[in-house]
Amino acid sequence: MTIFGLLSIPLVFGFLSLISPARKLVQLFFVLGATVLGAGGWWVVLRFSSSGRIFALNENLMIDAFSALFVLIIVSVGFLSSVYGAGYLFNETEPAIPTAKLRRYAFFFHLFLFTMLLTVCSNNLGIMWIAIEGTTLASAFLVNVDDKKSSIEAAWKYLILCTVGIALALFGIILVYYSVASGAAGAGKEFLHWTFLMEKARQLDPEIMKLAFVFVLVGYGTKMGLAPFHSWLPDAHSQAPSPVSALLSGVLLSCAAFGLVRFHSLTQVVTNSQFSGNLLILFGMLSVAVATPFILRQTDYKRLFAYSSVEHMGLVAVGFGFGGKIGIYGALLHVVNHAFTKSLLFFTSGHLLYYYRTKEIQKISGMIKKVPFLGTIFFLGVLAIAGLPPFSIFVSEFIILVSGFIAERFVICAFLLFLLALIFAGLLKHASGMVFGSGEQPAVTKKSVLMNNVLCVGIILILVSGFYIPNFLSRLLEGASQIIQGKS
Amino acid sequence: MNQELISSLIHLMGMLFLVSSFAMIASPQLLSCIRFYAMHSFFLAAITALVAYGSHVEHLYVPAILTLILKTWVIPQIFFRLIGRLSIRRENDSYINIPFSLVLATFMVFAAYYATGDLKVLNPAFSNEFVPLAIATILIGMLMMVTRKKAISQVLGLLLLENGLFLMAVTMTFGMPLLVELGIFFDVLVGAIMMGIFVFKIRDAFDGIDTDDLTGLKG
Repeated sequence: MTIFGLLSIPLVFGFLSLISPARKLVQLFFVLGATVLGAGGWWVVLRFSSSGRIFALNENLMIDAFSALFVLIIVSVGFLSSVYGAGYLFNETEPAIPTAKLRRYAFFFHLFLFTMLLTVCSNNLGIMWIAIEGTTLASAFLVNVDDKKSSIEAAWKYLILCTVGIALALFGIILVYYSVASGAAGAGKEFLHWTFLMEKARQLDPEIMKLAFVFVLVGYGTKMGLAPFHSWLPDAHSQAPSPVSALLSGVLLSCAAFGLVRFHSLTQVVTNSQFSGNLLILFGMLSVAVATPFILRQTDYKRLFAYSSVEHMGLVAVGFGFGGKIGIYGALLHVVNHAFTKSLLFFTSGHLLYYYRTKEIQKISGMIKKVPFLGTIFFLGVLAIAGLPPFSIFVSEFIILVSGFIAERFVICAFLLFLLALIFAGLLKHASGMVFGSGEQPAVTKKSVLMNNVLCVGIILILVSGFYIPNFLSRLLEGASQIIQGKS
Repeated sequence: MNQELISSLIHLMGMLFLVSSFAMIASPQLLSCIRFYAMHSFFLAAITALVAYGSHVEHLYVPAILTLILKTWVIPQIFFRLIGRLSIRRENDSYINIPFSLVLATFMVFAAYYATGDLKVLNPAFSNEFVPLAIATILIGMLMMVTRKKAISQVLGLLLLENGLFLMAVTMTFGMPLLVELGIFFDVLVGAIMMGIFVFKIRDAFDGIDTDDLTGLKG
């Protein structure tokens, strides 16, 4: 019941905002839906014990500690993003977006949240695939809200590339299904259940599992933004409206990583080797390496953050690849930290776009004098994403590197450190140019209380989580780490 | 019907399936390309139904009927309407000419047979010959996606690829669990409609549906 309740919230509010006649009512349902979902999600997570599992729909749906962690990210960033969106998209003064469009926007926003929740709550690998494909379909409209040439191009690329990628992942799932259907005994209905597969791992053919993992890596890797399949990502993230960019970058990429990690732990148990881990390290390193020059020479700040997402997803993949209790713990913590930090940065980019009406880094300077509130938060956010202590990203990056040293992968760790230093320098160069110096007064300075509050909440979250990881979170992280290692 | 007849019928359908994917690559007009897609899906439905009948896998009838309804009728109808309302040139513009794409497609069929030829690990539930056929279809679908200029032809390439995956699922494992199968159909249908809507948007913004023009975002 819990799972059905959680999944029905975004659907109900999505339809409510689709049929509301008035603009104010659409806005109300839009925010209320995400608030209720946030409360519901936290309620589920807080009363969830780290070793337990909740099943629904003949065990097709499941919440374990690993999913609970992702439910937490989805509902929290979803809530922040909807509150921000309520200020960002529903304002009346600017070239106002017509109500019909907002209605559709609110609907697809909630549908997007629903598909992501379904992704992390599915035990059946087939349903997970359907849900991940659903996230693409639901968010393509969100990427293109203003019908400009560039946003249509971004949405089209996103739609086509991710659909092809995900089709390849389906190939991998067919292979898994084939492997279990020809090897294991049992009722056919549970053949794709992740829990069932983990139990029967010995009866699966390791060779087929390896083949399947390669296809799933390409498929979900496309969606996760791993290089060299990342080319849709900077376009979609930079063209989407800021609240959507925050969701895409903070949560959607993490959900794809969730699907990939389910397969990774399955492959690891079946083949009893580092095959999938090594592939994750390879593609993760490639992502960090590919993102570096684009971060150093970037001219558009939204694309800058998008490439930074490629980098961080690469780091997450490397962390899972290193494995071990510490590596997985670090990678999971990094997913959480990246979700909050990157969504904060995309929210500030919404402010920037609103004040300065440009996406070019060159055209913005002297933020600290002219718009001190935004300038401070922006600068702190960039420092956080670059991995400076005391912010939370530093902690998780450090843990990932430690696990690399424990796994005795010194060369990889050294290379990673070198790239991270380069990225740090690049981000700092761009940010200091924008924040300091003598700048011009921005065109608009009207403030929205809602949007500013979201920024405050975001910066407090990432500051606090750098020092202190709450009890329930570390319990979830440890539980999830156990599950991924196949120990429960 | 006896087993022998069914099995040779399935092989005939498999051949026609491959021929119609070649026909999709070879057709110079968008409309005929869509008709060949409908044919392609029809043969897929026939194969599914024959496998269901021949191997007594009753639950496969559902995807067979759904394929028949959705892919041979609903989706082609959507595309016909789309082209009717788009009022665009109906040539199937390509980066490489048709004879050369046919040569490449032939090469892909050989590659698929070669790659799966000595794969000992794959021992499908139904018949060995359909795995390379399915993979060839997937490759031809990809070929179509990368060589065609028009947005609609790219969507058709994607649908061709999806048919290949479906054939793979049917012949290797007698299809996926029904719940999953239904979800996949739903996704394909919604995806096709969605891409149709975006084709319209591209037409309005770029005065045409050549994806050549979609080069604004770089770096």
